[in-house]
Amino acid sequence: MAPEQSPPGARIRGLTVVYRTPAGELPAVSGVDLDLAPGTITGVVGESGSGKSTLALALLNAVQPPGRIAAGSVEIDGLGDVVALGGEGLRRARGRHVGYVFQAAQNSLNPLKTVGKQVLDLGRSHGVEDVRGLLADARDLLGRMGLDGARVLDSYQHELSGGMRQRVGIMLALVLNARLVVLDEPTTALDMITQATILRIVREVHAERGLTTLVITHDLGVVAEVADRLAVMYGGRVAEQGPTREVLAGPRHPYTRGLLGAIPRLVGDIGEAHALPGRPPTLADIPADGCVFRERCPLRMDVCETGRPPVVVSGSRSAACHAVRDDDGDRPAVAAATGEDQA
Amino acid sequence: MIGGIGITKTFRQRGGVLGAREVPALRGVDFAIPKGGAVSFIGESGCGKTTLGRIIAGLETCDSGEIVIDDVAMSSLSHRRRQPYFRRVQLIHQDPYSALNPTRTIHQALAAPLALRARQTGRPRSWADERARELLGLVGLDPGYVLPRYPHQLSGGMRQRVVIARALTVDPEVLVADEAVSMIDVSLRLGILALLKDLRERLGVSVLFITHDVATARYIGTDGELYVIYRGQVVERGPVETVISAPVHPYTQALLSAIPVLHGLESPGEQRVVPVEASGEHPDGCLFAPRCPFRTERCERERPALGRDGGMPQEHACFHPERRSVVALPVSRR
Repeated sequence: MAPEQSPPGARIRGLTVVYRTPAGELPAVSGVDLDLAPGTITGVVGESGSGKSTLALALLNAVQPPGRIAAGSVEIDGLGDVVALGGEGLRRARGRHVGYVFQAAQNSLNPLKTVGKQVLDLGRSHGVEDVRGLLADARDLLGRMGLDGARVLDSYQHELSGGMRQRVGIMLALVLNARLVVLDEPTTALDMITQATILRIVREVHAERGLTTLVITHDLGVVAEVADRLAVMYGGRVAEQGPTREVLAGPRHPYTRGLLGAIPRLVGDIGEAHALPGRPPTLADIPADGCVFRERCPLRMDVCETGRPPVVVSGSRSAACHAVRDDDGDRPAVAAATGEDQA
Repeated sequence: MIGGIGITKTFRQRGGVLGAREVPALRGVDFAIPKGGAVSFIGESGCGKTTLGRIIAGLETCDSGEIVIDDVAMSSLSHRRRQPYFRRVQLIHQDPYSALNPTRTIHQALAAPLALRARQTGRPRSWADERARELLGLVGLDPGYVLPRYPHQLSGGMRQRVVIARALTVDPEVLVADEAVSMIDVSLRLGILALLKDLRERLGVSVLFITHDVATARYIGTDGELYVIYRGQVVERGPVETVISAPVHPYTQALLSAIPVLHGLESPGEQRVVPVEASGEHPDGCLFAPRCPFRTERCERERPALGRDGGMPQEHACFHPERRSVVALPVSRR
């Protein structure tokens, strides 16, 4: 069972990750500050190229060449600054302290080994002596997630459905009693009903085992269902963050408003929803100066061309935008997204 | 007008100690796609919705049943004579990247079908270039920017627009969009949906929208029809807004209940339905009975057929239809 200590927190400060390209080193993540408060679920939302997956990898100091962490720190309670760790210490931290459920966990299992064998491999590589105990833990975890644990441990990947494989991925991340868990796109490629089941399991397991959880996704709905806090990323930067319900009810950053206004809903006037103009920037065309969102922004001003937007903090919320004042935030998302803002 | 009667398809899986296993993909599906209309097939992966789309596009045959295009039964025609009919149905895939040849510019991708079209209709070659520009404009792209580029130089949303433009080169009557926005960035999805809606209105093209995401189906047209498919059977069918706001089949209700709620902006539906863990198979019973929280003994013995029953405005295949409000509603502001 999980040890009886408080879950670890994590503090990301000034994190910059660059990738080497023929055009020089380009930042995929640029000057990101983010706190994972102990015992909370934080959701990071972003589109392709927003840097969200790179951020998740940086949390484990697992950015692969041609990428590298160019600046900043990732302090994790009980581990120290992960950016300064290397070699054996880093390897041990992964799995033991930080569990990672990979994007498309459905496809990240070894097709030639049963799930049980993979649990044993994991135990051996982390020097677990009580392998029987480890297998029992694995079985119990799978049972907790509504599966027949013994049967799943004897199964090969192809014998399991997508939703079952995703639960196996979560089990593998937790079986070594990691208390900080990163889930990268935990429900992508799953059906609606399966997605709802997985999200419920993520919430329950998080609470029962006393975890600190980070969920990375492109889907605001997923974050809305599970996360206490929400960070919206765009072009490698955090555009806005705060308590999930507050951000959804009163988004401040024009990108958050636009994103919310672009989600098809089941009720209401469909004419009120609008796609954002333009497209998300890729690594090659993220503007080096000024605001990274300005090309698509309805509130664009001259200062957005040159000045990096200030982080406007109010209470537990913050937004990085020249146009945001700290008393903003009560305007309806949809009206703002259409640019017909009457506030 | 394209329709289908009793479309049935069974896949045979080889292997296993007992030899071939039969997997029914479609169990006698009827459908009709009116001219200029919007029809959506909703269901989870493996429910048969993609197979049905491929049969309608002529890429797959059915075991029994009949596809009828403009009152002509396709089974009465030779393979060769069927082709011009099925050319009127164009399929748009989920992944626009794999649908385009990476070694060809957009100009080349559009030139080939348009040159063929010019030959067929006795138009000069210069028409093809003109038409390519016109079609790209129609799907909201700048021809001058897009034409000389390769697929990898475009964003996902632009690539999907190119695929739609290419489908339009043959002047189709029906566009079959199979999960056409699921790989597109969230901020751009609505643009593609609006484009399909716009093509319906401007060109009178029918759209068959195949998806697991009910909310996107609504954006092709609130005047459309929704078919909810479960394990190869249509379990509920009716006007989009009716099925969403007052679904009567427990499977439809479970599907709608599973859609994430934007807490803070919305409050969850009051009668959300969560399917139970599957309990055994009932070979003659309702297909959804093993997971249905409302099943009765009758549901395990008998399989309900799609029909209008119990005074509901939509068709359904359930012995115990009941309206439930499962969809999240916007929190009224102040």
